[in-house]
Amino acid sequence: MKIEVLHAPGCVRCARELAGLRAAALALDPTVQWHEINIVDAIDYAVALGVLKTPAVAIDGELVFAKLPLPDTLSAAMRERRRTPA
Amino acid sequence: MDSSTSHPQWLTVGKIAELAEVSANAVRFYEREGLMQVPPKTRSGYRLYGPEAVQRLRFIKQAQQCGFTLAEIQALLQLRDQPSTCCNDVHAKVIEKKLALEARIRDMKTMSMALDQLIADCSNDGRPAEDCPILGALSGPAGGAAR
Repeated sequence: MKIEVLHAPGCVRCARELAGLRAAALALDPTVQWHEINIVDAIDYAVALGVLKTPAVAIDGELVFAKLPLPDTLSAAMRERRRTPA
Repeated sequence: MDSSTSHPQWLTVGKIAELAEVSANAVRFYEREGLMQVPPKTRSGYRLYGPEAVQRLRFIKQAQQCGFTLAEIQALLQLRDQPSTCCNDVHAKVIEKKLALEARIRDMKTMSMALDQLIADCSNDGRPAEDCPILGALSGPAGGAAR
């Protein structure tokens, strides 16, 4: 499973919360591919995903959260995705 | 005109419009929309503006040229006027605008490609409109004109 967090550089909230989200994702799936992407470097990709605000979270190339979720919410989305792969 | 109008710091609506290269009507429009403050009238009935009004007008004009709506410009001006704002807040707003613009460009490119298809499908001859392939494609099942 691949998780991409698209965020603006200098996002204070992201810096504060990303470590907790990453830990929650790895706790659920130690093989998860975790990518933190500077949206300025990936505008075309962000547009293709449908991102309109930052930060946003995509799972396996699909926009799932239009803002940073809580760690538990991210874990629940990952579990759901494992049950019903796209 | 009273003595305040001759003070070099104070400017008439026509003067701030000229300095910011907008029309006086645009200034009044921005005032109505809440982007510019309306100064009180002097005793002789003039509304006079400080030099910061010119800066504000330039800000509005250039933000419009970058595609910001009046509501978005209002939000940017509020950010500018709040001492607690940091550059990251402004940067995030601009990134969001860029994302929205790029999404619109993508949608418009899709529309343009649909038009290309309609143009290609029509031999542009003198047949009656009821036989026109463009009108036929537009009347057909959804997606027919944008395949």
